[in-house]
Amino acid sequence: MDGFLLTLWLLRLAFLAGLFFFLFAVARILLRDLHAAAREPGAELGRLVVVESPGEDAPAAGSVFPLDAVSTMGRGVNNTIVLDDAFASADHAALSYRGREWFLEDLGSTNGTYLNSQRIGGPVRVGFGDEVTVGRVRLRLERARR
Amino acid sequence: MTADATSVRRWPVRPRPRPRELALLAVVAPTLLLGFATLRTQQLAAAGTDRLTLGDPIVPALYLGLLFAAHAILTLAGRQTDQVLLPAVGLLGGLGLLLMERLPPSLVVQRFGPLELGLGSLQLLWLGLALAIIAAFGVLVRSDTWLRLYKYSWAAAGIALLLAVFVLGHEVNGARLTLCLGPVCGQPSELLKVILVVFLAGYLSENRALLASRRSRLGPLGLPPLQHLLPMLATWAIALAIVIVQRDLGAALLFFAIFLALLYVATARWSDVALGLILFVAGSAALYLLLPHVRTRIDIWLDPWAQAQGAGYQTVRALYAFGRGGILGTGLGAGLPQVGDVPAIPAVHTDFAFTALAEETGYLGSLAILATYAVLVERGLRIAARSADDFRALLAAGLTLVIGIQAVIIVGGNARLIPLTGITAPFLSYGGSSLLANAVAVGLLLALSDRGVALPPPPRRPAAERLVAGLRAAGDRVERAIT
Repeated sequence: MDGFLLTLWLLRLAFLAGLFFFLFAVARILLRDLHAAAREPGAELGRLVVVESPGEDAPAAGSVFPLDAVSTMGRGVNNTIVLDDAFASADHAALSYRGREWFLEDLGSTNGTYLNSQRIGGPVRVGFGDEVTVGRVRLRLERARR
Repeated sequence: MTADATSVRRWPVRPRPRPRELALLAVVAPTLLLGFATLRTQQLAAAGTDRLTLGDPIVPALYLGLLFAAHAILTLAGRQTDQVLLPAVGLLGGLGLLLMERLPPSLVVQRFGPLELGLGSLQLLWLGLALAIIAAFGVLVRSDTWLRLYKYSWAAAGIALLLAVFVLGHEVNGARLTLCLGPVCGQPSELLKVILVVFLAGYLSENRALLASRRSRLGPLGLPPLQHLLPMLATWAIALAIVIVQRDLGAALLFFAIFLALLYVATARWSDVALGLILFVAGSAALYLLLPHVRTRIDIWLDPWAQAQGAGYQTVRALYAFGRGGILGTGLGAGLPQVGDVPAIPAVHTDFAFTALAEETGYLGSLAILATYAVLVERGLRIAARSADDFRALLAAGLTLVIGIQAVIIVGGNARLIPLTGITAPFLSYGGSSLLANAVAVGLLLALSDRGVALPPPPRRPAAERLVAGLRAAGDRVERAIT
């Protein structure tokens, strides 16, 4: 009788222990994921992905540019992102991260800068998933990979 | 060239092992088996026989079989999806199944032709369907275009569903929630919360920049431009309508909480949340004064003992149950959720599932349940933080919040931390609609967690601008035709 009750009690404890062993295993996975995320170079604030490109010397579709707080785009070699397209100006446009938002600004280009196929005037807010067109190159702003 | 034409088209995917999921399931399975062993042995001992037993092994075997089948399907599909969601849901569902197997099966009985199913078997059936939904979404959903582009259609479908319930719904326990189509009855408001998240994610991601900019001011609060304030007021009005017409406090609270949380996720403005809370307090005060059933709920919350044998009976019994549980619990099957065949706590299998489990597994068991919910929320928010664009981030965050906020509302209600509202504990409570809707949420999260998922489609200009551009182009063409 007492042996039986003791066994039942131990079974109950084992059940509770199982629940917490599950949580322990999950916690280990979560911690490992966190450490893995911390090890990755996480300096990028966002990324530009080339969606469409005229080819030739311009970056091919699918190429990815990690972004700094201020990134300039254009044909000139001193730009953060060099877009060697005949329709792009030397210093074409700039993307900057202020507060919690991305802003796109035209730097006086000849053919203009387009946000979601609308020509921009002054600096405009850009959301993740929006498309920026410089010359014949279309780029999409994406969240940084973490 | 000819080799291409003659070669057999191969299975397009390569299976990819999911070691973490398998390891976690390998912990879940023996834990649930231990639970079943304790429950059946206890029940046998109560009948007078002291013998260790697993009882009828079919139920746990079926459930664990389904769980591992879902794992096998996800492995064969070879996508890099999250590996913690399925075991966590499996554990919660298993605990719910333990509770339903423990309660008298006559609590809920449904007939499917000659087949008559009791509470436990029905819950097993719904859990099977829920796991099937999770696996199907995790395998098949490879693009979110169908959610992204048709957000207004989804919203319209949701409102139609709501109106259908208003007009055609049946009243159960004083709340008008149930809609019957032939023999199958369901509660559409469960599905509505997923649809609401889809719509809000679409709307907020498209108008994020506009909502974050300030143009009008009201005292110390900066308001978004008025036309963008309208959806907020509309959501508030819908929540109020749900309370008044459907008498469903839980759903209304859930909808409004999801809306405010997503608005904050999208704009990162505390002033919007403050405005929402002001609206919430004003609405609650008005409802408290106007509607008797709201007033009862609040009065019970403030002092259930004032009418312990009347309206406060449920809450008082639940508090006693928490107390009986203590730290280690009374043990599965040894608690007091029912006296004879009458549940000691009314609605123990739906609203008070957490209380019953807390009584039988104690403080430690309830802590483990809460921690498992926290794990689900952590994984969901991580998926949101890693997603490639705003729509996906908001969708993932919203789906996570649906599960998290439900858990907070019902656990808080059970423990008398907040007024009790009739809402289900995700994956624990009995209820087909609730299980399936939460499974849709988890399935979508699983699909969104895939890193190799298709790129988001290019953004489209808002409808009004497209119309203007179209008209302008047409005008140009006419002009050219004339000249």
